Amino acid sequence: MEIIKELKKDALKRILLQGKRQDGRHMYDYRPISIQKNAIPNAEGSALCHLGNTQVIAGVKFDVATPFSDRPTEGILSTGCELVPLASDSFEPGPPSPESIELARVVDRGIRSSGCLDLKSFFLEEGKVLALYIDLYVVDYDGNFFDAASLAAMAALTCTRMPKVEEQKIIRTESTGTLALNGKAVTCTFAKVDDHKLLDPSVDEERGMDGRLTIATTGGNVCAMQKGGWGAFTKKDILELVDISFERSKELCSLF
Amino acid sequence: MSKPKVCESYDRRSFKMKNNIVLPGQMVADRPVRLPYCYVEKNKTYASVLSLLSEDGRLVPLCGPYEPMLDDYVVAYVQEVRFSGYNININGAANAYLSGRETAQKLQLGDVIYARINSVDEVKSVELTDARILRGGKLIETDAVKIPRIIGKKNSMIGMISTATGCEIYVGRNGYIWVSEKGNAKLAIETIKMVEAQAHISGLTDRIKAHLDSQKTAPAAN
Amino acid sequence: MAKEKPQLIIDGKRADGRSMEDLRPIKITAHVLNEAQGSALVEWGNNKILAGVYGPRECIPRHDASPYRAVVRCRYTMAPFCSLEEHGRSGPNRRSHELSKVIREAFENVIISEAYPRTQIDIYMEVLQSDGGTRCAAITAAAVALADAGIPMKDLVCAVAVGKIDGQVAVDFSKDEDNYGESDMPIAIAPRNGDVLLFQMDGNLTREELSNALEMAYRACAKVSALQAAALKAVYDGPKPQASLVLGNKQ
Repeated sequence: MEIIKELKKDALKRILLQGKRQDGRHMYDYRPISIQKNAIPNAEGSALCHLGNTQVIAGVKFDVATPFSDRPTEGILSTGCELVPLASDSFEPGPPSPESIELARVVDRGIRSSGCLDLKSFFLEEGKVLALYIDLYVVDYDGNFFDAASLAAMAALTCTRMPKVEEQKIIRTESTGTLALNGKAVTCTFAKVDDHKLLDPSVDEERGMDGRLTIATTGGNVCAMQKGGWGAFTKKDILELVDISFERSKELCSLF
Repeated sequence: MSKPKVCESYDRRSFKMKNNIVLPGQMVADRPVRLPYCYVEKNKTYASVLSLLSEDGRLVPLCGPYEPMLDDYVVAYVQEVRFSGYNININGAANAYLSGRETAQKLQLGDVIYARINSVDEVKSVELTDARILRGGKLIETDAVKIPRIIGKKNSMIGMISTATGCEIYVGRNGYIWVSEKGNAKLAIETIKMVEAQAHISGLTDRIKAHLDSQKTAPAAN
Repeated sequence: MAKEKPQLIIDGKRADGRSMEDLRPIKITAHVLNEAQGSALVEWGNNKILAGVYGPRECIPRHDASPYRAVVRCRYTMAPFCSLEEHGRSGPNRRSHELSKVIREAFENVIISEAYPRTQIDIYMEVLQSDGGTRCAAITAAAVALADAGIPMKDLVCAVAVGKIDGQVAVDFSKDEDNYGESDMPIAIAPRNGDVLLFQMDGNLTREELSNALEMAYRACAKVSALQAAALKAVYDGPKPQASLVLGNKQ
């Protein structure tokens, strides 16, 4: 894999020096995005997000669970992720890789910190709460599964039906309405190559990049950030990219 | 060798694309014939790959991996530098080997080369010769089975693209294609991708010519 | 309290209105993923199965490689959100290991693996939504994905489940029929010569019932096979489109 990284990096740098990206986009442009809600009707909520050629499915399921001992009146939010080998020849079958765990935790952080979910409303009775499970399934990988997964997860939440709960048991065939959401959280991921910063890196750009920065915003606030890769960002970079994220988040939110 | 009798379910008089797609397991001859992309069972010949049955009774595969053949010219890149040679990625199931003696230039990791296959053994191990480095430019990946169409009869298709765009293009039988930086590389790559997507539809040459002509009048947005 | 057994056949019709030999609605789309060499989506009743194929590619680990043929690997897994019931666990379990094995053995029969020695061919089947009969839908999807990848095969395998519900031999069971029926028999066949490549059975059948069920299975497989063929041909009905998965309502 290393050799392909070098090969792509050279070609990538040459084209960036001319002020362009390999697929003709501007530095802060997204690839075409489309979202399909209710992709998996068996799940309480679901969505499929296409971001360029990257395709990610998010499924939302509810179960009754015991709350965490330090938060006895709060429901549980748990985010999991599968980078299935179907999606790319660089994904291997087996237990979750660090990449897969990082993706789950970053998407989770964005949703949790934004406060769009009122976990207190999931309280049922002492010792019993609702647990909301978000599962991210990356099925086709062409770069930037962060933004694709966040969009899929958020879109899934907007169409999640609250199941009826009777005597602390879930009756899945009946619903009491849609999940109440207070705002939306979306992420913008940037790759850094030398001094260039690119929004929504394709897989080639990711292979040649020095570092990556994912910024989650909700309304006028930054609610989560994650730097990945081994390159470095300057203080100026970070503030500039946060501004771009606020701008882009408006378009992203209007997609679902 | 006489042509095998083709199954009656194909009406070859009306060459409609839909009727000519052959599926794995479909009979193509009622006697045993050695044809590529076919297998013989109980004295009958069947297709093994999704293909198009051409007018002259040949099976043209619509998809599939690259099958390295002796004397194929390939566009490839150096995946590993070894003691007396190089491991080369030829878009096949395994890497090919290029001995240091078979090339005049010394190669480095990641170098893109144009070379010829001079040996393929029973387990499909490939050895290359006559390698030369292609510097700069862009390497694109296409379906190896579409390469004959991209090249065209006597280079007609690729020649047309090269002339219209002013690009130097090296086409590897293995599906890798190198396009030079000079010239309208964007148009060349776009056109090659069009040929790849429409390789199974007749009248392609005219459509490609029309596309190239229409882009000539537009300013070359490089 | 255990769920009461529902009546599966009322007035000669099944709960969803089907007759004994009717299949649930099936939609097959080939070429839905960009990265995989070949791919397919099968929507069978409420089942949604995504299959993808990689290879032939270098066999890793090297010591598993065969000098005579490609090694075929199969992985059947279910997504945590696939069931109408609880949230499932990630990753394979005992059932998916067994299914991965018997499905692999079915395909090893038809893939012309001698063409690619020292390589591996990977077949991945992901159950995105399940509603009874997932292994048959998975095999049906995998066969289309293999053809989409151009892997040479002797035939396009298809599969269907037959068995007995409320005393009657029937085909293609929904989840309830699976759970409450008297016998379940998934079968995968190679349509051209009728070879049975996967065969499992549980429950109780008389010899006559078994014979009827087998006949029904072959008739049902012919219908499934026609749908697989149509899905593959549809990809080349015009310029080959960009691979794209369609599952829900576009926003």
